[in-house]
Amino acid sequence: MDIDDILREVDPASHGIPLETRDLQALTRLWVAERSAPELLNWPADGLFERVNSKIKSQIERIEDMTGDMDPKTNFALIVIQTELERYKFLVRSYLRTRIAKIDKHTLHYLSTESLRQRLSPTELAYATRHQALLHNHYLSSFLSSFPQRLQNLNDTAGNVSMIDSPDLDTAVFVRLLRDKDVYGKGTDVDTILPAANGDVLIMRWSSAKGLVEDGDAELV
Amino acid sequence: MALPLPLGLVPSEVAFLCEMELVTVVPRQRLDSIELLSGSTPKLRPPYRADLPLWLALLLKKQRRANIVPPAWLHPDSLREIVNYETAVDVKDWAPPPPPPVRADSRGNSRRFNASDNDIVLSPPFLPSCTATAPASALPYHWFEFAEMLLAHASDDVPSASEVRSLLRDLQEARAAKMRAKITHPDSHGEGVTSLRGVGAMELAESRGFVVGVAEGIRKIGASAETTRRDEEEEHGHDMDDDLSDDDMGL
Repeated sequence: MDIDDILREVDPASHGIPLETRDLQALTRLWVAERSAPELLNWPADGLFERVNSKIKSQIERIEDMTGDMDPKTNFALIVIQTELERYKFLVRSYLRTRIAKIDKHTLHYLSTESLRQRLSPTELAYATRHQALLHNHYLSSFLSSFPQRLQNLNDTAGNVSMIDSPDLDTAVFVRLLRDKDVYGKGTDVDTILPAANGDVLIMRWSSAKGLVEDGDAELV
Repeated sequence: MALPLPLGLVPSEVAFLCEMELVTVVPRQRLDSIELLSGSTPKLRPPYRADLPLWLALLLKKQRRANIVPPAWLHPDSLREIVNYETAVDVKDWAPPPPPPVRADSRGNSRRFNASDNDIVLSPPFLPSCTATAPASALPYHWFEFAEMLLAHASDDVPSASEVRSLLRDLQEARAAKMRAKITHPDSHGEGVTSLRGVGAMELAESRGFVVGVAEGIRKIGASAETTRRDEEEEHGHDMDDDLSDDDMGL
């Protein structure tokens, strides 16, 4: 932190949101979005998780340092810090678990094209690839090997029916607008354009809402 | 199974989010600033008020280190006004949400919290909609769970708590009926976007399964009609293109 950061913090005109709040807001938004969206969303590219993980690690080290000190005054601070750490860890853990659950459900789908593979983090990609390989080997050794050669694949698209199960992108989701905007959504009878204001909650299909969420005009709730 | 929960936030997760709402406390003891992952807490010096996240405020309250100042919208008069709005003024839509919070600078100007020059937009629970400065007569996004938690853990800080409790129950019933009416009303069926302006987080969480189920059912029933409609529109679009190109030829 240099003098500019300090000045920015005390200047009410700069409207600076501190980095900690930004990270927490970003993490919370990612978690809620991942919990609500029917498909796997992009892994955050701006290094948010590296930042969050290193912060959690240093906070744990701080707790270890403080535990030796049994002064009742710091003791209460310790309780607060630990409570907050657990809350933060819950967010991270629940986010990662949601992603793994989605990857487990449609592994072949997310591995099928390059653009879908881009959504996974390097660790998730390694997990998905190895898990799928193990599973396929297991199937092969237990029953697939007794099938004719041309029926042994798990990703056939014969007869215009793909064996790869993919998530239903038309599932209804709730979104909250972050700016005033006219929202276009596809419906069964009519496609609607609805003028909506900042903070409004809308029900629409994920396929229609996806663009809004990716542009930062709306967030999932 | 990595996560045995259904799609969409469940009520306990909504309550977790609500615990991040900022709330105003009056400390009863001095407490130095604590460095947390979500930023440092303000120094607590009685009797100066400070804004803290709800989970921390409840922790301090349980240890009798602070009292919570309930927001203006939780006052019985304000709640009565909202109940009146919900039951008499507008029987179809919910009461409008509070206006976007504004912040004053030292030069006498005020600006919205989410000025466009910020690269990240804050949304509930990070907007100060439950602090002592929050406006009366409008329910913020996390109103129900916030009020419940405050009444459960700090009912002695809420003026006329029993009245507030019964008003909240009236509100909840009136608003839940609106949700059911809105979703099952035939007008809203088959449309692409339905607005739930003014709805609360817990109300969404409790009727999420119902709402999504109805929407899915309607989509599946109308799927073939929709495909036909889209094909027709596409053909129509092609016709228009042809017309245009004919015009171009004419020119």
